[in-house]
Amino acid sequence: MSGKTKTEMAIYAVVCLAILLVPVFLDDAFLLNKYARYLVLGMLAVALSLSWGYAGILNLGQATTFGLGSYCMAMALKLKTIPVHTGSDGLPDFMVWNNVTELPWFWKPFYSMSVGVAAGILIPALFAALLGWFMFRGRVTGVYAAITTLAAMVVVQLLIIDQQAYTGGFNGITDLAQFDVAGFAFDAYGPAIYYLVAICLTASLFIAFAITKSKAGLIVQAIRDEEDRVRFFGYDVALYKIFVFSVSGAIAGVAGMLYTIVMEFASPTFLGVPISLSVVIWVAVGGRQSLLGAMLGALIVTGMQGALSESETFLDSWTLIMGLLFVLVVLFLPKGIAGAVETIAGRFERRRTLARRQSRRADTVGEAPRLERLS
Amino acid sequence: MDIVVSQLMTGLSIASILMLVALGLAIIYGVTGVINLAHGEFVMLGAYVAWALQAEFGMGLLASLVPIFLIMAAVGWLVEVLVISRLYGRLLDTILATWGIGVMAQQAVRLVVGGELRYVQMPESLSKSVTILGATDSAYRLFILFVALALFGVTWVIYRYTNFGLKLRAITQNRAVASSFGINTSRIYRLTFAYGAGMAGLAGALVSPLKSVSPEMGTTYVVDAFMVVVLGGTQSLMGTLASSGILGELSGYLAFYSNDTIAKALVLVAIVALIRFRPQGLFTAHART
Repeated sequence: MSGKTKTEMAIYAVVCLAILLVPVFLDDAFLLNKYARYLVLGMLAVALSLSWGYAGILNLGQATTFGLGSYCMAMALKLKTIPVHTGSDGLPDFMVWNNVTELPWFWKPFYSMSVGVAAGILIPALFAALLGWFMFRGRVTGVYAAITTLAAMVVVQLLIIDQQAYTGGFNGITDLAQFDVAGFAFDAYGPAIYYLVAICLTASLFIAFAITKSKAGLIVQAIRDEEDRVRFFGYDVALYKIFVFSVSGAIAGVAGMLYTIVMEFASPTFLGVPISLSVVIWVAVGGRQSLLGAMLGALIVTGMQGALSESETFLDSWTLIMGLLFVLVVLFLPKGIAGAVETIAGRFERRRTLARRQSRRADTVGEAPRLERLS
Repeated sequence: MDIVVSQLMTGLSIASILMLVALGLAIIYGVTGVINLAHGEFVMLGAYVAWALQAEFGMGLLASLVPIFLIMAAVGWLVEVLVISRLYGRLLDTILATWGIGVMAQQAVRLVVGGELRYVQMPESLSKSVTILGATDSAYRLFILFVALALFGVTWVIYRYTNFGLKLRAITQNRAVASSFGINTSRIYRLTFAYGAGMAGLAGALVSPLKSVSPEMGTTYVVDAFMVVVLGGTQSLMGTLASSGILGELSGYLAFYSNDTIAKALVLVAIVALIRFRPQGLFTAHART
């Protein structure tokens, strides 16, 4: 492990620790819920940073995998509720309203929470793998890959809205039970949920970090910079891209599940264009080529959004400011805040080594006359 | 018989609007390689300019078409100079920047004019309906079809027979070589962008009497128009014409036989498949105009 990797890991660990310590100092259920929500979105940003920043796949449909995870969790939690108006055997309320008489087959496995959680990771990952296979085997890259992911997301969203009887349509899935593990219930407004989210965030951050530092991660970055050259070296370019794309999908799926737990519902807007493009903004602002930067970008922007949209003056102009900020970042900080920090740090580093070298040279220069005198 | 004709006319009407929007997008994308996600907002701004000219100065829609084109061309020119011109080395970033511009334009309109729906009066002379082969159709829709074809013709002539068009085609094929032959590529890019934005503005103005004008109206158009460009291929104007015809008829037909949602989803799936299996577009092989 190189010194730089160690420093990076230390920084990651410090940030994650700071995030984990927040509930110790903050005793406000409402705020904790809000921060947990921001952290979930931070996870989504990590997922996009992995595929966009490291593999060069601009996924304009990152919300697809996010939404799929969210729906998996919502389905499992829905079947745990004590329904107010139900059909014969505890049918979810919206199915009763849509005259569905029997639970559809694809809902049945979700009676088990562990199946639900597994599905929330595997289904998004599988979806990403299929889409990735479809795109990258056909060498669809760049702008066209971006558009394909966007179109795929709109299709999934339209299907969910259209199949109202099985998915709750526009209204999504509401009135959910609390998520519980072995009898311990996670209250959406308690510190437990915050810890759950923070731990998942830390885990996904470090998994993603490990991937970027692995050999596969290096090949993926090489593909981002010069795809053809990597292909000429004999690597299966598509396979590596599919791998990263699926991992990114899985992380987004977990984020989606957590989002359902925190928000206490699932909605087709979770797979919408606005959220997908927001992720792109966060990652661009934070720095797409830094997982931590992307995550912090999400926290900063959503935090700012939360603060500004609460004040009267910025309620309307917020979106305008957001758009402007985004355009400026794209124009002048193509690597985001993390990139800027890195540049500044690099400059300091260079100055320091330069100074060290100069002082060393000064020492030798200082010694030189003595040698002369000796001769 | 008349059901067939009326179905055909519905499709043609959708197609003509599609082509109006897509033409500007296709030119910009074809020449500069920039995917202009703010194109829908240019359409929306055009519609608002039409509304403003009518509400404030009492100008009829037909009389205001030329000013709308000029105003929107100026907007496009400004966007190119301020933002796009700095991004030609990073094409993927232009998607992001133009999207940001789109968000800003939408919100700016919402702040200045308000988010409520606005309505633009149809020109008196065109508010009647016409009967063709037993099917009735509104005269205004026919007028749009006519204007769309006329604008296509104008663009084609510019593209094919003018000095400017010659330079455009040269740049489309190879920017570096074109510029080494003394073509001022950045000037051509700026003009192209302005022209595309002007066309988008005209499209917005022309559809404004058919649909209500709102800050969000652009979003749906940009997706559809992009589909037209992908289908038609980026190198050919004829491809744009043909693909808007196909997509217009197709979505009219699909909406008639199934519901709207499924029709939309199917069109998107078709586009995804097309990008995968024929990324150069359907018409590129035999029509490089």
